[in-house]
This record gives sequence, structure tokens and C-alpha cells, in this order.
Amino acid sequence: MTAQTEMFMLTAGLLMIMAGCYCLIRTYHMLKIIIGIEVAMKAVTMFIMLAGYINGRMGLAQTFIITVIVIEVVVAVVAAGLAVNLYRKYGSMDVRNLRKLRG
Amino acid sequence: MEAIVYICLAAMLLFGILAVMHHSILKSAIWLALASASLGVLMYTMGAVWSSLFEISVCSGLVTVIFVSAISLSNTDKGELGKLYEDKKRMSLLPVVLIAGGILLFAAAALQLFSVPDAAPAAAGAEDFAEIFWNSRQTDILGQMIVAITGSVAVVALFKERDIL
Repeated sequence: MTAQTEMFMLTAGLLMIMAGCYCLIRTYHMLKIIIGIEVAMKAVTMFIMLAGYINGRMGLAQTFIITVIVIEVVVAVVAAGLAVNLYRKYGSMDVRNLRKLRG
Repeated sequence: MEAIVYICLAAMLLFGILAVMHHSILKSAIWLALASASLGVLMYTMGAVWSSLFEISVCSGLVTVIFVSAISLSNTDKGELGKLYEDKKRMSLLPVVLIAGGILLFAAAALQLFSVPDAAPAAAGAEDFAEIFWNSRQTDILGQMIVAITGSVAVVALFKERDIL
């Protein structure tokens, strides 16, 4: 793989992080926020793989990727559970409703 | 190999942007699954076989199931969703932001403000995934187990209907 291809990977990853962060900033839907986080996490996973490829240490990079995947899934599960509970309480998944919670 | 990498990169970026931009949450979840699948193929092409397996089965499969379950537990009307969150209007500026960001990044790369080093040749025989995963990074496995158990307990706590103990 050429340095130009690696550069394209880096650029695509940074654009994905931008898209994820834009989603985090602009939307109020809890599930959409999780999707934004997931999109940014895809880019992070790709960066770890790219780092492993550049250093010639793909085995080590794969162990880190698996750790990231486990964390990603747990974050998605817990946030989805929170979103469902939010819906049960307020009838919508609007994160602004979280401010109304007491205790 | 280069062609597959470019195709997967383009697909991942496109599906990722669609996942963020689409006003229907169900379709967003499907686009996200496709972005994960593209990343999985990219990993496989670059030689990360084990992690590509995890990416496709867990991120593309399990996470999508979680999203679809959460969506099915909250059956809000599509029209109401549009009015409540105004996602169509709120996300309309994203293509402009991404095009501007892309131009800036390509300009910075052309001016050599940042660069990536050349890929080193893979260490001969030293990088056995199973050896690293089970022997060198045992603490990571322990951490993963703790995170997974914490997640399970958190879900149980979130959905409990009466005192567990």
C-alpha cells in the first residue's frame, strides 16, 4: 500500500470523525447520538489498524481493535437501555428530557 | 489490493455520512451496519483477519440488533419524529462542513503540513495474533471481561422492575 493510500485513509477517517461530532452537536435524539458516536468509533478503529499496518505490528493492533469493539458494544447497549427508559418515562428519546430527571 | 481499499474507504465514508444524515433512525442503523461491514472488508484486505471477523459479526450484527430492538420498543410516529427533532433541517449543513473539511485536509496534505511514515515490513513470524492476545495482553482481556460484566449489570439495573436483592 502506498503512502498516498494511507493519506486517503487518514483523511477519510478524519472526515468520519467530523461527521460523528457534527451529529453529536446538532441532534437531540438519543439513538442518533449513539449512531454519531459509533461512526466516530469506526474511524478510530481504522486509525488503530492503519497504525498497526504502518509499524508492521498487525497482531498487536488487532488486540487493541478487539478491545475497542468490546467497549463500543457495551457503550451502545447501555446507551440504548437509557434511551428506552427515557422513552418509557417521557414518551420521547429527546436528550433534553434528561435535564428534568431528579435523583 | 489498492482498488479494494479505495472502494471500501469510499463505501465506509458514504455509509457513515448517510447513517448520520438520514432522518429515519431505522435506516440510519442499517447504514451504520453497512459502514461496519465495509470496515470489516477493509480490515480483511489489510490482513487483520481476526478483528475483521469481530467487526462484521459484532458491530455489523449485534449492534444493529440492539438499535432495532431499541427502535421497536419506542414506536413513535415518523411524522412526529420529524417535527420533534427537525433532523432534516439540523443536518442539512453537514455536506458543506465535510466538503470544506475535506478541501482543508487535502490542502494541508498537499502542503505537507502532515504526513504518514512509510509502512514498515511486517516482523517475520513475530506477530502471532493468538500469542499476543492470550499471553502478552492478558490485562486487556481482564479489562474486556470487566467492561462486559459492567455492561450486563448496567442493563439489568436499567430494566429492573423490582429489587434484585
